[in-house]
Formats: sequence, C-alpha cells, structure tokens
Amino acid sequence: MGIDAAVVQLRRGDPDALATLMARYQNRIYRYLLRLVRQPADAEDLFQQTWLRVAERIRTFDTSRNFDAWLFTIARNLAFDHLRRRRPSSLDQPVSDGSPDDTVVSRLMSGDPGPFDLLLARERARHLDVALEKLPLSYREVLSLRFEEEMKLEEIAIVLAAPLSTVKSRLSRSLVQLREMLEQENPDEVWP
Amino acid sequence: MTRSGEHAEIRDQLALYVAGALEADTEASIAQHVATCPSCAAELERWQMIGSGLRRLPTPQPSPALFERTRAMAAAQLAAHAEQRQNRIVLVLLIIFSWAVTIAGWPVFRFATGGLLSLLDIRFREAWIQFAIFSAITWLAGGSAAVLLSVRRQHERRLA
Repeated sequence: MGIDAAVVQLRRGDPDALATLMARYQNRIYRYLLRLVRQPADAEDLFQQTWLRVAERIRTFDTSRNFDAWLFTIARNLAFDHLRRRRPSSLDQPVSDGSPDDTVVSRLMSGDPGPFDLLLARERARHLDVALEKLPLSYREVLSLRFEEEMKLEEIAIVLAAPLSTVKSRLSRSLVQLREMLEQENPDEVWP
Repeated sequence: MTRSGEHAEIRDQLALYVAGALEADTEASIAQHVATCPSCAAELERWQMIGSGLRRLPTPQPSPALFERTRAMAAAQLAAHAEQRQNRIVLVLLIIFSWAVTIAGWPVFRFATGGLLSLLDIRFREAWIQFAIFSAITWLAGGSAAVLLSVRRQHERRLA
C-alpha cells in the first residue's frame, strides 16, 4: 500500500493503514524527535503522542497536502511543547549536559568492533553527532530535516512555519556553526 | 568583480550549495568556478565532507515493543473515534426519525380518531394537548431506542 492510499484508508479509520504508515515513518519520526529532545525516554514518549495525535486528527488532514510535512509538524509541536515545559528559558541555547561519550550515536553504535575504517567512520560520526548536539535547537532541527530526513526546502518551511528565506539562512548559519565547532574541537580530524 | 571578491562570494554560498539550497543558475556558476579554482574546490570538499557526514549519521530506531504499544494505542483511539462518529450519526438519525414521525403521524392520528373531516377541524384547545401527548410518546420511544442501542454497544464492546 502506498503512502497516499494508506492516508486515505487511515482517514476512513483503517487500523491496517495506520500500521503501514507507522512502519514507513517510525524511524524518521523517532530520529527527528530524538534530535530535538535528545533524551531517548522523552523521544519514545513523544513518538507515542505523535501517533495518537495522528489517529485523533487524521480526518482533518487535507489529502491534497503534503503528509510528511503534516506529520512532522505534529511531532515538532509536541516536542516543542514538551521542551517548553521542561526548559522554558533554554529552547535555543546550546546545551552540553551529560558526558560527551554518552550520545545517541554511541548508544546506537554499541556492538562488535568492525574493521579499522568502520571504527574510524564511527568516530567521525560520533564527533559530528557531539557537535550537532551542541548546536541550538533551531539549528539542529533544520540540519536534521534537510540532511537526515532529506526534506525539500519547501517542506521544511511548512514544518517550521517559516518563510523559505528563513529556512535558507538558518540552514547556512547552522552549517557554518557546525563546521566551526568541528574544526575547533577536532582540529586534526580528516573527514572522508 | 575582482578575483578575490569572486572567491569570497563563492565561498559564502558553499554551505548552501552542499545543502542543495541554491537556485540552479547559482549552482551552475559555483560549479563552473570550482572547476577552475583549486582553493575554492578544496573548500567545497570540506563542506561536502560535512554534508555527507550528516547524511550518513546512523538512524536510531524505536524498539519493536514501543512500535507495537504505540500501534495498539493509536488503533484503539481510531476505533473509539469511529464509534463516537457512528453514535453521533445514529443520534442525528433518531432525531430526524422522531420529528418525521411526529409531523407525519399527527394527521394520521387525527384521521384515525375523528375521521376525514377532523383533519379540517381546527380546535386548538384540545389539539395541543393531544399533540403534546403524541410528541412525548414518540420522543420517549426515540430516547428509549437510543439508550437500548447504547447499552447493547457497551455490552458488545465488553464481549469483544
């Protein structure tokens, strides 16, 4: 079942369509939420809330519009509400809490040691992830939507509820800051 | 524009270039420039490394238990909403039915109790009492049907 067909079926209350969409989007939504809130437990809670909200509001969704943008907007709104409740004054502040070694990537990459190049790639990815974690929320978000979720700029503008020009400028500033951070913290790093 | 000014302008746009956020003609002019400029090409390579690094970050996955729990909860919510909608439809239909019976049944009632001429006999003093009784009976019947329906559904849900 394709995305569009599943959305139509879900609007009719079909639980199989819900399972199809969840299977299709589960990794992307979870990754995006984790990128925003950084704590796996919070991301899991928000993951649940997102799909419950989808089930609640799917009948209000206009099928002529972009489902990805609608879905990510729901996840984003829930995540921002959560962050406001948790840290009302620090939504856009860089955060460096916790050990640098305890990152999402390190949790994901636990397992058998691989070949040397794989380890090197993991190390670079870890550095990148650590730098990404330290970026302000709005920068983390736009980088995640563009590079991880591979959303079009127009879709990102819908999710952020911001003009295209804002998306571009935020994307540019976030990349510049990310690079500065990487070069500052890992001056000898050679990226593949 | 001087050559150094051109370099600066190109380099300012390289971040957006690797993000695929530039217009096609701007991209083309940057590609043309870096093809003949080793220093800008090296700078572009650094940006591309960051871009590809971001694209290759591992994808965290929710646990199967979280997926299944969420799916079950969302499916239950879908079913609850569907039932609410159905109940609303049934209620609206019952109201329409009650009004239809009330309006259409009144002439029949008059005809049955007083014959054909009674339809033309407008004696409101007696008529409104009869009408009120008749309406109350029909509305009570509709209400009872709604309650019975609701009880039956709750029973069915408990059995499911």
